[in-house]
Amino acid sequence: MEVAAAKLIGAGLAMIGTIGAGLGIGVLVNGAVQGIARNPDASGNVQTNMILGIAFAEAVAIYCLVVALLILFVG
Amino acid sequence: MERTRKWRWGVNRWFVLLFIILGAVAAGSYAPVLPHIQLPAEKYSHTPLFTIPVIGPFYWTNTLTAMVLADILLLLLALVVRRAATSGELIPRGIAGAVEGLLEVIYNLTESTAGKWAKSIFPYFATITLLVLVVNWMELIPGVDSIGILEESEHGFPVKEVAPGIATIVKADAGEENAGEAEHAGYSLIPYVRVLSTDLNFTVGLALVSVVMTQVFGFRALGAGYFSKFINVGGLFKRPIFGVIDFGVGLLELISEISKILSFSFRLFGNIFAGSVLLFVIGTLVPVFAQSIFLMLEFAVGLIQAVVFGMLTMVFMAQATAGHGDHGDEHAH
Repeated sequence: MEVAAAKLIGAGLAMIGTIGAGLGIGVLVNGAVQGIARNPDASGNVQTNMILGIAFAEAVAIYCLVVALLILFVG
Repeated sequence: MERTRKWRWGVNRWFVLLFIILGAVAAGSYAPVLPHIQLPAEKYSHTPLFTIPVIGPFYWTNTLTAMVLADILLLLLALVVRRAATSGELIPRGIAGAVEGLLEVIYNLTESTAGKWAKSIFPYFATITLLVLVVNWMELIPGVDSIGILEESEHGFPVKEVAPGIATIVKADAGEENAGEAEHAGYSLIPYVRVLSTDLNFTVGLALVSVVMTQVFGFRALGAGYFSKFINVGGLFKRPIFGVIDFGVGLLELISEISKILSFSFRLFGNIFAGSVLLFVIGTLVPVFAQSIFLMLEFAVGLIQAVVFGMLTMVFMAQATAGHGDHGDEHAH
């Protein structure tokens, strides 16, 4: 197979990992919104922790993105 | 109050229309080209500026220029805010007011998380957030990533003179009149300024500062006992089985500390680099107007990434100062 074609396919495959991050962020925000709906006074605290959790979940997606970018643009 | 807040829609919409038409005309005569995207920062010259004996040759790259520009901007911001703070006015206006609002939010967040350590952790949070914010938003300035030196390269495109001394790269099929020059080697653009966050050196450096200072705060708060979190030999002789498990958990803590550097640096780098690639691609596909929508997206992404970088630093520092007690740290990140 052509190396260039294999690179494109590989970059696409690397991005499959973002499914997990998407699911994770969905579950997280679901929980946070339910928490805020039950106790609106705690919204500030819940939001801070939610953003932290999103940052952790998103980091995995970013690893996939960086791998894909490395495949595409390096070498 | 009502009158000053009113937008001049009657005038401004004509400006918007004018710029859209100008953009359409410019895109019609000089179609944008998808530049050759490369991960490492571009060097201005192929000969090194000077050579450091052990480390190696030193090149001046375009991200270094961005760093200097960001520093100058931050210093100017500091001077403006200082003048507003010492002028005696109780209500800061304009930029000073915006900075005060941002810092107040940051300080309240730090105080609610870090408690009595808020005063020493706050400067790191604020510095990192402001620096990353300025650096990320430089992506939105027109000319960054698009004005630079033309250089011959194998991935190049033909060039065309717009005005004396000013040239632009054009699509390969459009530049037929100077195909004679362009057929052996095309030209590619080396931008004068490239967004600093798209250079891994910057993000890794910032992540190192953040993680190392976290250890320093932990040591200051808990003394030498802080390091028993990592190398936990306390229970090894008293309770053989659980002691071994504790020791293993300590080693995992060490690994998670190292992986923080990785996740910090790649999060910022990945977001901003992907953002600038997105802007390139959208600008090439739909040259007129569509990019402004994505500029709004990048505006939000830049702000969120800056706050997240600073906030994670603050939370890790607060956790390090809080003391791990007896196996109370179940939610290891």
